[in-house]
Amino acid sequence: MFGRRGAQLCSELAQNDDERLHRFDNDLFEHVIEEANEHYHQLETRMVKMQQEGLDIETTQNRDYFGALIHHLSLIRNKRCLMSYVYNRSQSVQRLRWQLGAVLPADLQDKLNYSEIEFFKNYSELLGSYMTNIDLDLTVDSTPPKDPYIQVRVMDDLGEVLLDDQATTLLRNSIHLMKRTEAEPLISQGLLEEFIG
Amino acid sequence: MADENGGDGLFGSAEADYGWTQGSRAAEASSDVEILRRVWRNEKAAPEILPYEILLIQRIREQILLMEDTLSTFAGTSSDELTLSMYRMDIDRTTFLLRAYLRVRLQKIEQFAMHILRTEELWERLSQQEQDYVQRYIDILQKHMEQSVLSKLPFGYQSMLRQAMSSEEDDMIPEPALDTFVFCKSKGSIPSLQLDEKGDETVDLLSDDLYILRYRPIRRLLETDRIELV
Repeated sequence: MFGRRGAQLCSELAQNDDERLHRFDNDLFEHVIEEANEHYHQLETRMVKMQQEGLDIETTQNRDYFGALIHHLSLIRNKRCLMSYVYNRSQSVQRLRWQLGAVLPADLQDKLNYSEIEFFKNYSELLGSYMTNIDLDLTVDSTPPKDPYIQVRVMDDLGEVLLDDQATTLLRNSIHLMKRTEAEPLISQGLLEEFIG
Repeated sequence: MADENGGDGLFGSAEADYGWTQGSRAAEASSDVEILRRVWRNEKAAPEILPYEILLIQRIREQILLMEDTLSTFAGTSSDELTLSMYRMDIDRTTFLLRAYLRVRLQKIEQFAMHILRTEELWERLSQQEQDYVQRYIDILQKHMEQSVLSKLPFGYQSMLRQAMSSEEDDMIPEPALDTFVFCKSKGSIPSLQLDEKGDETVDLLSDDLYILRYRPIRRLLETDRIELV
């Protein structure tokens, strides 16, 4: 059936709606691309045949015309599936930038294809320069602040860190009270965790 | 939301007790924050991008700086930790609103980038920085799409904006659903508001009553600030 693989590609997205990014399904993706090109081939063959028979493509409605139309529509359908797949993934890639910062962890790099990695870098740069332009970090403060300070536990020896314009030494397992806005990026990088005692 | 209102109350009482800033400046500050909160709510609830509140944002940013200044001056002299932390909290809440406002705009800008770029009315609603952002965003998205999909498709089907060369117009540009329903509140009474183009259906909006209406008919009222979304 035409378009089945494309639909499969999209249902993969729907099944993986748990926010986590899955590995780019290269095999299925390339299959759909091949299918699209095959549709084009079929389409072209029918067009050429009609031209050779001296028929007007605009007005003739014979079996070749409808055959070509079906291939055209199937091609468009495949294109839409492919684009949805890539676009939806690109949105998850963007989310990574908001959640994890400008550096992509190695285990996630494997799940992206080369173009997505490039897209991540470009997007990261774009968002970074926008935030520099407006002089405000938008990635922190994603929930309304209840208390300006939070208690955090340090996950690893981080050495001397500049907090609130003061140098502080963060040792593994030590507990600190610090500004939420300063703690949030470190928490999302997994260097600290919120300590609820 | 109730939480944030509580914050204002705290700020107000700290103000009265300690008289840190001149009354007039404080009154100004709280009203701008109030407006920002409304503007943010409108932006969050509206399906399309709304005009960028350039002057309001400028004032808010100045106020945040001023409050930071005041706070650091007092941090040196005052030993009252509780009051200081309330001031801190007030600044943080305002900054949160500001960030949330800019974030929700960015989200819509990304989602409807192409539509905004080709619609002058929407384009004019962006700040200078946001306009730069849209253009660069489209560039990188297009590059990604071309590399991953479009360049691998047959000739005539490689456009990001059109399904095929034979399409009559750009038919792959997502647009906001203006017919979606929104919760809204009218600021004054608005008699016989037309709900459709023919004018068959009308509704009288009463002041401060809550309504669920389609976005399209109240679009202009939102522009003239006669209605607010919740």
